[in-house]
Amino acid sequence: MRRFFSPDSVALTGSAVGLASLLAGWLTLKPNRLVAGTSLDLWESSGGAGPYLIAGLWLVCLAMSVVNLKRPRGAVLGTTANAILIMALVLVGAAGSRLLQGESSAARVSLGAGFWVNLVGAYMAVFAARRLLSEAGAWRHAVSWSAPAAFILLLFSGWFHDLSVMQEYSGYQQRFSQEMIQHVRLFGTSVIAGTLLGIPLGIWATRNKYAERPVLFTVGMVQTVPSLALFGLLIAPLSALSFAFPALRDFGIRGVGVTPAIIALVIYSLLPIVRNTYVGLRRVDPAAIDAALGMGMSRWQVFRRIEIPLAASLVLEGVRTASVQAVGLATVAALIGAGGLGWFVFRGIGQAAPDLILLGAIPVIVLALLVDALMRLAVRLGTPEGTRGAGR
Amino acid sequence: MITLEQVTRRYGETVAVDGLTLEVENGEVCVLIGPSGCGKTTTLRMINRLIEPSAGRILIDGRDTAGIDTRKLRLSIGYAIQSVGLFPHLTVFHNIAVVPQLLHWDKQRISGRVEELLDLVGLEPEVYAGKYPGQLSGGQAQRIGVARALAADPPIMLMDEPFGAVDPLTRERLQEQFLRIQRELKKTVVLVTHDLDEAIRLADRIAIMEAGKLVQYDTPEEILSRPGNKFVRDFVGADRALKRLSRLNITRYVKPAASVGLDGKARGAISASGDRWLWVVDDKQQLIGWVDGNLLKEGISIKEAMDAGDSREIALSESATLREALSRMLGLGFMRVPVVDNSYRLIGEVSLKDVESATSEGGG
Repeated sequence: MRRFFSPDSVALTGSAVGLASLLAGWLTLKPNRLVAGTSLDLWESSGGAGPYLIAGLWLVCLAMSVVNLKRPRGAVLGTTANAILIMALVLVGAAGSRLLQGESSAARVSLGAGFWVNLVGAYMAVFAARRLLSEAGAWRHAVSWSAPAAFILLLFSGWFHDLSVMQEYSGYQQRFSQEMIQHVRLFGTSVIAGTLLGIPLGIWATRNKYAERPVLFTVGMVQTVPSLALFGLLIAPLSALSFAFPALRDFGIRGVGVTPAIIALVIYSLLPIVRNTYVGLRRVDPAAIDAALGMGMSRWQVFRRIEIPLAASLVLEGVRTASVQAVGLATVAALIGAGGLGWFVFRGIGQAAPDLILLGAIPVIVLALLVDALMRLAVRLGTPEGTRGAGR
Repeated sequence: MITLEQVTRRYGETVAVDGLTLEVENGEVCVLIGPSGCGKTTTLRMINRLIEPSAGRILIDGRDTAGIDTRKLRLSIGYAIQSVGLFPHLTVFHNIAVVPQLLHWDKQRISGRVEELLDLVGLEPEVYAGKYPGQLSGGQAQRIGVARALAADPPIMLMDEPFGAVDPLTRERLQEQFLRIQRELKKTVVLVTHDLDEAIRLADRIAIMEAGKLVQYDTPEEILSRPGNKFVRDFVGADRALKRLSRLNITRYVKPAASVGLDGKARGAISASGDRWLWVVDDKQQLIGWVDGNLLKEGISIKEAMDAGDSREIALSESATLREALSRMLGLGFMRVPVVDNSYRLIGEVSLKDVESATSEGGG
């Protein structure tokens, strides 16, 4: 028997967070880039019906999180949450332009806590909706992707032009694309190198009982070193090396810069890749291997036809973890002069300009989500059909 | 013919198989049995060189296997194991097709062979060829395992508890199927089991092993009636007389049975001993019950005097064993049980006396 009231704790929390965000300041109007300004809530920053619409949509979310509508529940919840997200983006963009009218050219409008909290609440609702829509389908994709798509559309149409982050962007336009490319290059290179190194290491650990423990122990150990410390630790040996062999400097081997950053990122990407390769191969049913050998396959044929396909999904899962992790860690690389989007973050911290920090942080998050989605697709494609749905 | 000559396998200090000498004739089923750790699986795995012997020789049709390339050797020997080891990422079709593909058969030949094998193990090709191992029951998976081992029609089959991981009812059905297939294909089979009933049922010869040594190698009948030593006697158990009965088919012991038709006319021979009980058959000679002869003599009509009985419950089929006959007698409280053919027509009966004499024949 189905109960009419069945609260979904995630959706309920999200709705509460979302409603609470309406009380906080959404935008801050500042006379210039650095000073503190006046905080404005949703109604103060935006006139018209918009704010009431958002509040109303949140009430719908709240209702959906307690009332059991069975099948349409996830769809309604997800659609509402996406509507809130898109409305919020539209409103802050428009409100930014409205607030700046009649202000001096130095005046800035930046995003306040209310907007961010609203974002968090809405994503909790989206998450709950995705769980309710357990089987993958058009609805699930729509719920997951319509808000990000709207964001990208609004971004490139210049809708956020009058928000402070975008004004920081227009000041750094050239630098931005340069650091963006650098960021992609940093994590891309290190994940590819980590994969090329990690998979053989993982295989070696399963094949050689003397290698097994040291390999797994070492990759596990380095993971516990804080990223900043690892970047720092590499400075001394690498600069010593470059002093001892000055020729190495031509290849970029110096204490600071791109090389130590990539080395550190490769080391970090090793753990998930090595461990997943190891577990993936170990998890292959020994009976299948015994049968394959007994039927007359060579060791290589067993590896290629049985072990690789059966371990593939876990190995790719490891590469996915490593990639998403590397996108984030590459931000820190800016500290040792390797560049990347972290450059904006640390410069923003240095200048006490929060919007400059956001200019670095937001693209990192978007990039991480994008990489994650792409790698999930790769994992799905790499999982052989007969093993799908079995604990994965 | 598989010949093992003084085959030994050591693991450090321990000797898993100790100077084993054994011969398996072509077309025979040799069952290796013994307590766990007796070396039976090691012996099996030495035949296809998954384990190399530390000493001794293994010959197939007189050729030393040590001189044959391991892959070629294994491709020519079927291999089925208890945990089946089907490849979960391949369909049933491709699981069975593995060895033919390794042997570079052409596509048409492979698909024809797969279809044939699925038919052989009683799984409809249209339904099962496209399934993945994860979609099969335990019994179906084991049948696919056997089909896969048979794929390239190897003259020799090695089977390590091939019917181990299923419920008793399914196991019995698989054993029955195995015997049917074996009668048809006449493979040289070496099969490892720890189940004595299975060994007795399937084997042409049983090799009983203990601590790496061969204790007795003989037909099931011989092992049951003349256990070579105390170990074998203990191993086959105190009920070996009963076990022996399961090797004996009833056909040798079926005698003509006295029966009457519903019209009261005697059909077949009234036995000389003048047994009191008569089987009742209908006009198609199908068994429908039994009747007390004394009542008939008093002039009571058959219809009134008869005890109706379901043929399927009281009668045995021709392929039954004496053990089943005895069990049926004890269950029904009868001194004799009727035997019917496939269409439930009465063809005779087996009596308790015959079972007794069969038991004493072997001196068990």
